[in-house]
Amino acid sequence: MASDKTDVVTESFEVKKASKLSVLGFLMALPPMLLVLCFVGLPILIAFTFSLGFTAGPNRVVSIIGQEIHKKDHWWGTFAAYKDVFHDSRFPGDLRTTLLVTLIATTLVLSMALGIGIYQRMIGGRLASIMTTLTLVPLFVPVVIASWSIHTFYAGDGFMRTFLSHFGIDFPTLTSTSSAIVIGTIWTSLPFAILMVTSGLQSVPDALIETAQDAGAGFFRIIRTVLVPLALTPIVIAGTFTAIGIMGSFTIPYFLGPNQPTMLGVEISNFFGSYNRPQQSIVMAFIVFAAASGIALIYIWANVRSAKQSGRI
Amino acid sequence: MARKEKVRVKTSSTAVRMSLVVFMLVMAFFILGPLIWLGVHAFVTNWTYPNLTPDGWTWHWWTKVFADSALEEAIRNSLIISPIVVLLSMIICLPAAYAAGRMNYPGRKTFLIVMFAANSFPKIGLFASIATLYYALNLMGTVVGVIIIQLLGTIIFMTWIPAAAFASVPRNLEEAARDAGASKFRVFRTITLRMAMPGILVAIVMSFLASFDEAQGTYLVGAPTLFTMPTEMYSLVQNYPIQVAAVFSLLLAFPSVLLIGLARKHIVGGQLAEGFQIK
Amino acid sequence: MSQAPKEDGLTLDGLTKVLGGRVIIDNLNLVVKKGEMVSLLGPSGCGKTTTLRMIAGFLIPDKGDIYLDGKDVTTLGPEKRPSAMVFQNYALWPHMTVFNNVAYPLKVRKLAKPEIERRVHEALSLVNLMHHKDSRPGQISGGEQQRVALARALVQEPDILLLDEPLSNLDAKLRVKVREDIRDLQRRLGITTVIVTHDQDEALSISDRIAVMNSGRIEQFSTPQELYDRPETEYVANFIGSLNHIQGGYSQGQIVPGSEVVGIRPEDVIFSTTQELGSYPTTVELVVPRGHFCEVYLKRADVELRAFISSNVPAAGSIGFARISKALIYKDGKLVRVA
Repeated sequence: MASDKTDVVTESFEVKKASKLSVLGFLMALPPMLLVLCFVGLPILIAFTFSLGFTAGPNRVVSIIGQEIHKKDHWWGTFAAYKDVFHDSRFPGDLRTTLLVTLIATTLVLSMALGIGIYQRMIGGRLASIMTTLTLVPLFVPVVIASWSIHTFYAGDGFMRTFLSHFGIDFPTLTSTSSAIVIGTIWTSLPFAILMVTSGLQSVPDALIETAQDAGAGFFRIIRTVLVPLALTPIVIAGTFTAIGIMGSFTIPYFLGPNQPTMLGVEISNFFGSYNRPQQSIVMAFIVFAAASGIALIYIWANVRSAKQSGRI
Repeated sequence: MARKEKVRVKTSSTAVRMSLVVFMLVMAFFILGPLIWLGVHAFVTNWTYPNLTPDGWTWHWWTKVFADSALEEAIRNSLIISPIVVLLSMIICLPAAYAAGRMNYPGRKTFLIVMFAANSFPKIGLFASIATLYYALNLMGTVVGVIIIQLLGTIIFMTWIPAAAFASVPRNLEEAARDAGASKFRVFRTITLRMAMPGILVAIVMSFLASFDEAQGTYLVGAPTLFTMPTEMYSLVQNYPIQVAAVFSLLLAFPSVLLIGLARKHIVGGQLAEGFQIK
Repeated sequence: MSQAPKEDGLTLDGLTKVLGGRVIIDNLNLVVKKGEMVSLLGPSGCGKTTTLRMIAGFLIPDKGDIYLDGKDVTTLGPEKRPSAMVFQNYALWPHMTVFNNVAYPLKVRKLAKPEIERRVHEALSLVNLMHHKDSRPGQISGGEQQRVALARALVQEPDILLLDEPLSNLDAKLRVKVREDIRDLQRRLGITTVIVTHDQDEALSISDRIAVMNSGRIEQFSTPQELYDRPETEYVANFIGSLNHIQGGYSQGQIVPGSEVVGIRPEDVIFSTTQELGSYPTTVELVVPRGHFCEVYLKRADVELRAFISSNVPAAGSIGFARISKALIYKDGKLVRVA
């Protein structure tokens, strides 16, 4: 095809031009890279050696301040701190709470986002856009405020109990339970998920939906076979970001959750500050990181998949 | 061709419409209820359970907040630190965003994925890790330390969203401008930058909010010497009556509400979502 | 409304559609016979796509009725209509293979697997694409995508096939080939077809009849030949083919002062070196080669004319005689006589 040929020509021209600019591009990309390497990569690496019992060098100060520090007993370190954590009576409950809250909240957030997104894509109208705008409100509310307002709303003397007691309903006090953590995480995660999912669904061309309609497909079949598969990448991205964000969250379980068992984010902070056991705290951070990395792989898979589909790879 | 209507599937049965309206009301209640409940508390003397109305109305808590020098200092710190963070973030990240969006250089994809991986380490664990480094570098409790902590939270917004915005500027528009005799720099300033502006604006708003709202890291690094508005909230809710926290919340929410108007259109318009897909 | 038509085929009866406060389609009537191929031809914004979308069921007319084979389908949704549409950009689902794209309508109809397989293979063979059945739409060329879209429409065995600018995304050479393929298929299957196009060549070469549209109305609906020979309105005359457009009157092969509009096809201007009956002296002003013919600008005492001449082309500056063999005379935009 003639048009294909010209495409190839311009592409190779661009590639040539791009390779000339590559050094400059690399230099421009360097500053944030360095910042991340110095203040994210390096600390994580040092922390990892610390968790294995390397207490010299940059870990010296924290090793002196902290309690129950395990020093390495092999050339590669020691798993003593990891053993501590796994044998801690609180840990299984904390881990279960963390994973359960992540799973339940992510599922709920995604299904709400899908519901609202599909409603806006397929039916639309003023009601839909009001609803989307409404769900964006949490994006602009600081997490601390969000947590505290939800805390008071569902507290023993909060609105829910106050209001419903006049109808003779004894609404349970949700504050300081895992349910409150789920409510809080949904509240704060909703806007991002809805933005991602809605924009993904909106970018499915009308014609692709109309052909399915023309072929005789009904409402739910169109959603299942055309709309959702075509918007799968942004949906997966929304899900993974939400899950990773929830898994490592601190402020919401701190304000809304029970003392025991709580989410690992709070426990990391407790071990680091209140209990002064920094090594065990770091170990927990790596456990959460390991779980989050698993989810991150799904995210990367989704991106690669979308690049493949549009022929970029 | 006349612009066609949206694809519409007939669902106009009243039962469906009614359940949608109910669903929306529940959502509104779920999202706005807590905020309103807390907001009202800023103006009440006391609220005895289970009365439906407060015991009385007052401005007392507002004067109390403004009279407290610690709170005032926290407000001042926040208003100084956040703009500095956003500015630094722009200087550091925007060239990188341009490079990621428009150029192909070795490790471009790695760059985007590293930025993402940095985001998937639990924040609180990262801050605990950074603390060890900060002890070594003597950055604990310093403004510089807090700025760096907050800067980290803005990077993902300031690189990804503008990168997608730069990438989506059609090249032929730039070529047309070059053809019309504009210099390279002029093309960048008048075409590329102008067209990527909505994306950059969204990135600025999101970065400002990220910095302004950052509490965990700032608390860990800054307390007990340096407090910003959100970290002050931590001690407030524990040491003061709920009404003071309510007043403070309203103050803290003020800049956010201001920014909604600025960027809502572009955020809803997909600039934010576009930025989170690695291309 | 009026009685349901008895004959088979497609009947549009008094269709009116208002979109965004603008009347897009204004009391449109059209009857397409069974097995006929009809083009809706017009410039962008004339309402041809809106009409097609109403036939397909994507838009519900504000007024008027649509009958298919004698049945009223005006308010049926697209999924309930026995019509199949090929979209301008083909609208192939990128996440499905060619086979699955074509099989989709049959899966929706819950046909048995072997039956689906058989019919999809049949449809793909029809458009010569069996070798690409496991490819994805992104991996095949534009012309092939076009054929997949066609196969997906045909596999439904629709009562009526609707094509929305099906060739506009193909390059010029391919366009001619594909439009012949479509015509050939349509004839072989005897399927009633409505095709929307803004390209008069395309319409003239493949349609049984053409409906020329202008701001929501049909200006003329007739065979290509008739449309060319006897354009009923000035608009159609200008839109179809080339035209010398002259303000004035016409009498005995000459332009005279008057208030009418005279339209003369360039091929109806006959140039010769010797004087014949009705021809007048002329100078050749300019000769522009146009491939297999030349466009010649002639100047007579009464009028300047463009002529298409394919043999014995005169040189610029030479002198000869020009005769008008046929003229269309319009008054208030309507054809009043042919001379």
